[in-house]
Amino acid sequence: MSGALHSAFAFRGSLSRRKRVAVALGSSFFILLVWQIASWVGLLDPIFLPSPLDILGTLYDMTARGEIIGNALISLGRIMAAFLLSAVMAIPIGMLMSSYRPISAALEPIIDFIRYLPIPALIPISIIWFGVGEETKIFLLWLGTFFQLVLLVVDDANRVPNEYVEVARTLGARPYEILRDIIWRSMLPGLINNLRITLGWCWTYLILAEIVAADNGLGYVIWTARRYMKTDEVMAGVFVIGIIGLVTDQAMRAGHTWLFRDQGTSR
Amino acid sequence: MNERLQDYLVFDQVTKRFGGLTVVEAPFNLVVPRGQFVVFLGPSGCGKTTLMRMVGGLDEATTGTIRLEGSPVGPPDERRGMVFQSYSSFPWLTVLQNIAFGMRYRRDLSPKAKASRARHYLDLVGLSDFGDAYPSRISGGMRQRVAIARTLAAGSDVLLMDEPFGALDAQRREQLQIELRRIQSEEMKTVLFVTHDVEEAIFLADRIIVFSSRPARIIDDIDVTAELGSDRNLELRDSEVFFRRRADILRTVRSTLTLV
Ligand SMILES: Nc1ncnc2c1ncn2[C@@H]1O[C@H](COP(=O)(O)OP(=O)(O)O)[C@@H](O)[C@H]1O
Ligand SMILES: [Mg+2]
Repeated sequence: MSGALHSAFAFRGSLSRRKRVAVALGSSFFILLVWQIASWVGLLDPIFLPSPLDILGTLYDMTARGEIIGNALISLGRIMAAFLLSAVMAIPIGMLMSSYRPISAALEPIIDFIRYLPIPALIPISIIWFGVGEETKIFLLWLGTFFQLVLLVVDDANRVPNEYVEVARTLGARPYEILRDIIWRSMLPGLINNLRITLGWCWTYLILAEIVAADNGLGYVIWTARRYMKTDEVMAGVFVIGIIGLVTDQAMRAGHTWLFRDQGTSR
Repeated sequence: MNERLQDYLVFDQVTKRFGGLTVVEAPFNLVVPRGQFVVFLGPSGCGKTTLMRMVGGLDEATTGTIRLEGSPVGPPDERRGMVFQSYSSFPWLTVLQNIAFGMRYRRDLSPKAKASRARHYLDLVGLSDFGDAYPSRISGGMRQRVAIARTLAAGSDVLLMDEPFGALDAQRREQLQIELRRIQSEEMKTVLFVTHDVEEAIFLADRIIVFSSRPARIIDDIDVTAELGSDRNLELRDSEVFFRRRADILRTVRSTLTLV
């Protein structure tokens, strides 16, 4: 027993998939259990923090009333639209910035400037520009992700070994062929990882956008519940976001592993 | 045209500096006839890779010119193929796809011709059973063979090979040396080949250029073919004249600087 524990805690050691899942589920269950017990013995005021079982019950009722699935799909749709827009713009721009010095010299200051602006500070201007419709939400999400993503893409492209590029050049590849056949292919594993991470940030800005200007979506559900001090409904909404995040992240990780299973362990 | 055979590849007063570091000092002059197998032998860091890269068009000479078939070399093109010092096969392609990549930008070959050429060079470097494997699944020496096959498949007239056999075991190395020499003489390829291995140099070369330490200067220019003939085979390896030549060259090299 202590031998097994010892080997499991080997510094930078490995853990089988089954054991990892078991540990992950076990720790989550443990936290929920402590929380539930704390509620039962009266340590937690339900107005302040309802118990996990109460939240689950509320979530069930809300789903039955049709308040969850539709709104979750609306939120997901907004995220996907804005995220695709960001990615479709950031990938080519980032690749060009990495390949041509004048382009990065021209764009880097602007990107850095906007990147450090807090998104809430830009809500008024985006409402002035786009009103309170879908455009504002997509715009805010795009603002929050595009400028971060473009720099990550530059970084991914920069990390493509120069030797790959030189091999292609000596074989007669022209610049656009190098971009397509070498840079793109070589950076893809890193890029997909960065897309996964950026997708997570989208939720932050989504809730913000839906709190400010929306009459649907999970952010709206949470914010409305807060107004009536329905803490259990707030927590149920938060819980749904967490689950969606967890599932998409794990799915993308698994997809990444599968997609690049032949390319070795690097990245 | 005839004269181009004699001065096919020419280094004319070439110098190279990286910032304050002088790698090649004037005047570096070398005239390579078409179809000659030239081996560069010299201490680490003396500038051999830099010279190869300048021929390949990946680096520019600071002053002077390198001419191929009479005109100054420009950016890389299909006439000059390179095998890099560190093996550089693409991890996202299979072994066979990597080799076929050598012909990717050639418009004069049909897809069918490309496929059969790729197969041919796959077999040649002894990787027939690994065509569908990815580079991450094979050894470093095998990856280096992939890179060699890719460059050979590209079919360029000038081969620039920078310590290409460094990662190979002795037996494979010997086999590839013989193959390379055969391809080179059959297809009249002009080869610049860098190695640290004197035996390899003598076995492969028509001509050995021995370099000083940095900044690179030619300290000896040995006509190997004059003594060993152009036919290279395994018997030659064990012959007396081969050993004598090897001892001579070793002495020259030792007299300059520490090598190996
Ligand atoms: N891009 C570069 N920038 C600065 N110095 C370089 C560069 N490439 C090579 N050098 C330097 O030039 C010298 C010769 O290098 P190299 O041609 O690789 O030698 P060799 O191949 O004979 O071992 C070395 O001192 C190396 O550090
Ligand atoms: Mg070198």
